[in-house]
Amino acid sequence: MTTAVTDAPRPWGRRTARLLVHQVGYEQLSFWRNPQSAIFTFLFPVVFLTVIGALFSGTGRSSYFDGLSVLQYYVPTIAVLSVFGSCYGQLAVALAARRQNGILKRIRATPLPAWVYFVGLVAHCILVSVIDIALIVGIGRLYGVPLPSDWPQIVAMLVLGAVCFCALGVAVASVIANADAAPAVAQLILFPLLFISGTYTPIHSAALNRVAGWLPVRPFNEALTGLFTGHTGTDWRQLGVVAAWGGVGAIVAVRRFRWVPKP
Amino acid sequence: MRVTYEPAARPVPESPAVQVRDLWMSYGSTEVLRGVDFDVHYGEVFCLLGPNGAGKTTTLEILEGFRRRDGGEARVLGLDPGDRSGARQLREHTGLVLQEVGVEPYLTVRETLARAAGYYQAPRAVADVIGMVGLAGLERRKARKLSGGQKRRLDVALGLIGNPRLLYLDEPTTGFDPAARRDAWDLVRELRREGTTILLTTHDMDEANALADRVIVLSGGVIVAEGAPSELGGRDAGKARITFRLPDGFSTGTLPVPATAANGVIAVETASPTQALHLLTDWAVREGLELGGLTVNPPSLEDIYLRLTGDAVPPSVPERTTK
Repeated sequence: MTTAVTDAPRPWGRRTARLLVHQVGYEQLSFWRNPQSAIFTFLFPVVFLTVIGALFSGTGRSSYFDGLSVLQYYVPTIAVLSVFGSCYGQLAVALAARRQNGILKRIRATPLPAWVYFVGLVAHCILVSVIDIALIVGIGRLYGVPLPSDWPQIVAMLVLGAVCFCALGVAVASVIANADAAPAVAQLILFPLLFISGTYTPIHSAALNRVAGWLPVRPFNEALTGLFTGHTGTDWRQLGVVAAWGGVGAIVAVRRFRWVPKP
Repeated sequence: MRVTYEPAARPVPESPAVQVRDLWMSYGSTEVLRGVDFDVHYGEVFCLLGPNGAGKTTTLEILEGFRRRDGGEARVLGLDPGDRSGARQLREHTGLVLQEVGVEPYLTVRETLARAAGYYQAPRAVADVIGMVGLAGLERRKARKLSGGQKRRLDVALGLIGNPRLLYLDEPTTGFDPAARRDAWDLVRELRREGTTILLTTHDMDEANALADRVIVLSGGVIVAEGAPSELGGRDAGKARITFRLPDGFSTGTLPVPATAANGVIAVETASPTQALHLLTDWAVREGLELGGLTVNPPSLEDIYLRLTGDAVPPSVPERTTK
């Protein structure tokens, strides 16, 4: 005899879409109300670029910046920085904290499907990145950096990068058991990685560039810089490296993710 | 005012709401549950009573689907909580109030509940739930600005928002002041009247006594007693406890019945209180003594509980404070 609860079948398509919008809306609300995430994740790249622009806006092309003007160099790399912070940085820290203080367990106790939760999170992170990038490109424009022309490719590139960085963020949050350690570990990975990838200053060491070329940030920087400076054509190798890191992150995330802290 | 929590015509199926058979669980080499069996019937308040570390929360977490059991059978609303394919359906109909409070700090009370309500197909109205848990007037306050007790109320509200058929309450009143606790008890009784099945854990005998239809006492991962609070551990079997004080210079050895002394209070436990009392008072009159503070009581639930759980832990100490 079975007395299992049963639910009438429902048109899931519309309901799921509504659920996703609902979820992204509340993620956005939580994000923008939290001064730490809003300032550190969102405002930092904007302020960084504004300061760079104020310091170097008059200077022309320079061989130190790979034949680009200072601002031409920094607009795409800071755009990548903002995507990295909004996706990887945000998720690595927030998910570890949410697990520690029981928010994930609470979510898991509801009928919200796990995939909707994660798709909602990724969509939220992409939305934050898009707003950040729009501001960064806008500031670059004010300092005389021409707007790129190949927008469809840029959008595709940014979405790919954002999704991969999100996967890496979830992976790091899954591997870190202790939420108190999460911000430190996340920063410990983030800062050197961004530095050797040429985000803060051009790197002229061939060895370092070779290493960074196999890590997820430099290929993204190069691809985006290419698109911003009018090079056409897709660099599949660069995209492949970023996507491969995203794949590794996704595998670790799926295998290791926990909703509740270890007993 | 809209009242959406009117008693729904819920059919009472024949099988129990929760069925647990020979449940085993260990963390590493520590065996937390060692063959636990119980049934929770539809419409009752069922209590898992026991000291810290007895396995109460682990049992709940297995039933909630958060932990995978090592052995035994479990059925919740007819579904296996360890089977992921039914998890979603199960969560649609179960509500949880956890020990650790986990809410987004920057969302308001109303936003927190509206967010959770959106996850269910047939939730209760947000305003009603706010009223039920006594958070009216605080709808626009952010979770981070709530006091500890108010956060617990918000957590109770999150457990109710999906209008569950089965509600898990894990130490629901830990950290409550007496008034808040009274309110929470009233709410549990109200939910029971509406037909919600409630599985409650507590280490507080008063709570079990006040709320539960049936209790199991869990200690060291096994059930040591089971029954209605009034009959637990042979409480109704006619045993009585006579207590009094003696003047200095008298020891228990001089008494006509076996007795124990603690902190100057002499206690006599007996199955025939009339006879024991007669012997005692007769002896006292002959000696010309007055038995100070003479009382006759059935053994308290607390005495039984301490006996059953081996005096391991004082029972009324909150095991965790809410963060």
